[in-house]
Amino acid sequence: MDDLLTDFLAETAEILAEAGGALVAWEADPADRARLDAIFRLVHTIKGSSSFLALPRVTALSHAAEDALDQVRRGNRAANAELVTGVLGIVDRLSQLCGLLGQAGVEPPGDDGDVIAALAADGEAPEAPETTAEGGEIQLRREDDFAIDAQGWRTIRVPLPLLDSVMTGVTDIVLARNEFARMLRETGADPSLIASFDRLSDSIAGMRQSVSQMRMQRIDKLFAPLPRIVRDLAQDLGKKIRFATSGGEVELDREMMENIRDPLIHIVRNAIDHGIEKLDDRVAAGKDITASISVSARQSGNQIEIEVRDDGRGLSPDALVQKAIAARLLPAADARALTPREKLDLIFRPGFSTASKITAISGRGVGMDIVKANVEKIGGVVDLRNDEGRGLAVVLRVPMTLTIISGLMVRAAGQYFAIPRGSVREILLETNDSVRIERVGGGELVTVRGEPFPLLRLETVLGRERDPGDDVEDRALVLVRPGQGQSYALSVAAIHDHEELVIKPAAPMIMATGLYAGTTLPDNGRPVLLLDVQGILAAAAIDASEAGRGMDRAAEADASAAAERGAAQLLLFRDVGGRTRGVRLSVIERVEEVPALALFESAGRIQVQIGDDIFPVHAARLPEDHGALKLLRLYDGQMVLCYPIEAVIDIVRLPDMSQPAAAPGLIAGVVLIGGEPVEIVDPFWLMEQYAPGLTAAPAARQPVCRLADDRDGWGDNFLAPILRSAGYRVVSESSGEAADVLLCLTGDGTCAHDDDDVPVIRLRASAAPIGPDDDTVYRYDRGALLDALRRRTGGDRP
Amino acid sequence: MMDKLYLIARIADTRVALRSRSIHSVVAVGAPVEVPAAPPHVAGLFALRSRVFTLIDPHVVVGLAPVPAVAGQRVVVVDVAEHGYALLADAIEDVCFIDAPEARVTGKLLPGWARVAEAMIEHEGQSLLVVDPAHFITLPALKAA
Repeated sequence: MDDLLTDFLAETAEILAEAGGALVAWEADPADRARLDAIFRLVHTIKGSSSFLALPRVTALSHAAEDALDQVRRGNRAANAELVTGVLGIVDRLSQLCGLLGQAGVEPPGDDGDVIAALAADGEAPEAPETTAEGGEIQLRREDDFAIDAQGWRTIRVPLPLLDSVMTGVTDIVLARNEFARMLRETGADPSLIASFDRLSDSIAGMRQSVSQMRMQRIDKLFAPLPRIVRDLAQDLGKKIRFATSGGEVELDREMMENIRDPLIHIVRNAIDHGIEKLDDRVAAGKDITASISVSARQSGNQIEIEVRDDGRGLSPDALVQKAIAARLLPAADARALTPREKLDLIFRPGFSTASKITAISGRGVGMDIVKANVEKIGGVVDLRNDEGRGLAVVLRVPMTLTIISGLMVRAAGQYFAIPRGSVREILLETNDSVRIERVGGGELVTVRGEPFPLLRLETVLGRERDPGDDVEDRALVLVRPGQGQSYALSVAAIHDHEELVIKPAAPMIMATGLYAGTTLPDNGRPVLLLDVQGILAAAAIDASEAGRGMDRAAEADASAAAERGAAQLLLFRDVGGRTRGVRLSVIERVEEVPALALFESAGRIQVQIGDDIFPVHAARLPEDHGALKLLRLYDGQMVLCYPIEAVIDIVRLPDMSQPAAAPGLIAGVVLIGGEPVEIVDPFWLMEQYAPGLTAAPAARQPVCRLADDRDGWGDNFLAPILRSAGYRVVSESSGEAADVLLCLTGDGTCAHDDDDVPVIRLRASAAPIGPDDDTVYRYDRGALLDALRRRTGGDRP
Repeated sequence: MMDKLYLIARIADTRVALRSRSIHSVVAVGAPVEVPAAPPHVAGLFALRSRVFTLIDPHVVVGLAPVPAVAGQRVVVVDVAEHGYALLADAIEDVCFIDAPEARVTGKLLPGWARVAEAMIEHEGQSLLVVDPAHFITLPALKAA
């Protein structure tokens, strides 16, 4: 097949998936002009490329969709469910066609009159045209569309096998380099040779870094098909569902992405089918008829957390047990002994299905057991957060990349093993004074600075003997934290070093032991097994939960353990001025690296564009050089602020504040870390500086403003942006949505909308009030207007 | 033509024919790394050009006692379900075209061999078992349990 066609198909498949999701989102909020424009652009792109390749059916279909959407843009046609269904029909037909095209290489003959007519037909239905007299402005926007299309040329498409072969190639180069380095060391080469070898080495390291970045993709690609799935399924089942995604800019290795696509879709389907109640049941339970499902992604360390949350009925542990007994998965006698947690985990048993009868939607033999198996296959974890009657959150935690992680190399039974650095809390020699090892009832426990941990010997876990060649002095304890609220000590024969490791999944029968998370090839070229710290815990069958440990310890030990857990961590960094500063790790969402050109100045502030979002930057002026720039992304739960830095130095435990600053400001105080003074940045003060001008109010809590009598478009063009930035949602007069406040823009202060229960604010065009009893507000008096709005909507808005 | 190409090797003390299209390559193994707690037929791991392969001891699969791998021993590399495996061979004899058709297995084989053998073929006056290397990867369920 011709290359052009292959490119077209790949691009179109991507566009169609994105368009499906965007259409559904737009259906939910037809006033969202930006969304409509985006969909229009997508369809327009398909039309453009298909006409170039002479694919008449594709062109005709995309033209029909483009035409219908353009009618909406011009205000000649209302956006409604029929229109969206019509366009989705076209999207489906296009996907089918592309599938056939991919197989046959030529466009199959056929007639698309049906879907095109379906779209055209309901356009003729007498829908109230939205508004008028805006033709000129829309024309301008169309030119923008083409300008954005041109940006497409700044990226190129590369076939995945090529990318993978580059990755394998680079891994080979790294291994060869390591081999070479060892030979150089052994033969004692002269310094000039070693110096040039080091230069080669550095560039190889840089290249490996870039290659692994090449494989990263934004997670919204994974989210793109979900809105469509939710919409179709909700319609089939007669449920009303509000669907939202967030964190789409988080990046994930494309291989991981492939592996969680199906589990994620399955969990969402499950939520719609089993989690969300029928309309009647929701009413009976006193819930909003419209259920909500949200999918969010978050990066924490080198893990990505994806949460699917619904506000449905949640899981009932007792019902699960009943079902498991009925399905003969569990003897009734064992059921009584289960903890609530174990009861919930029953849904992960093979052959378990929570629906009382198998439905066409999610009961197709693919159960949560497969989801769990798939996620675990790639070193991930599935977690349930159940709130019976009120909803369920399924959390997938997967490593950010399968390829390269930081690992700690340890030795046991005469061979090396790797432990993921992310789950290592502390490393101590067994001979350390603060370590006390005791044998209690056949088990071992270790007390480190008053905090007890269960102790596992790696040799015992692996069923091997200790290597007689090991030096007892070298034995070390690795304090491992495999999951939230769990920790244990793993005793190993020796600690070797830290390495950046390329991780590959091991063969299934090795993974099935539950002890290993994969294999890796370190610098010496001999394979090393990566230990699964969670699996070891399961294999050893010990309770590693931290809760309730050390209850009978001295109060002092208790306090120190509590302080240990409570102690905040501090990220040390060098700021752009070269000073060493620190900020609490918990307020940092992630560290972002952006080209300096992504920063721009607007409204007297420096801002940065990351993906499709714009965030404020704490900087007095734009950077002078044009290289890359590191930004700390601070997040307070509502808004993001970027803080430029030069480099991250370390993560340390935050000591008690020794020298607080005299007055509130950027620096909260100074602490001594390793004998050096470090300024601690005050995130509270920082956020406060940037908070007021931002529009970060969460969508669900925004009061709704309806603009009435907006005859000349002043409200829409002048007023609405101000209201939106003050945290209000603005709807037009014709919208049926219940408003919290009505704004009358008649100009002379009269308003025909007095009969509603909704509070009314009348605006006048003249600066001076008409009389002493005039309660209208001058339309350019921003302060008075926002003040009036605040009073009318309950006063809880900025 | 490729259909007729076979690798003749001694595996688990028995001369067998392996269809060449089911084989990736034949290489010499370096010092393998043990996998503690793995099933008995897993003889270890070894690296070949930045890929890690799982070494399988066919002796265990057909029900014999394990024979440890020695450095430099030749192995038959196969890909099964996107994972790379290497079967330890006692000896690699030849790669050759065999014109004779594959015949049904006649006679009663030991249970271990019955599971891995797919057919028989006549070569130089001797009957060889035609085995599928993929069958060596998994142990029979009763043994794994």
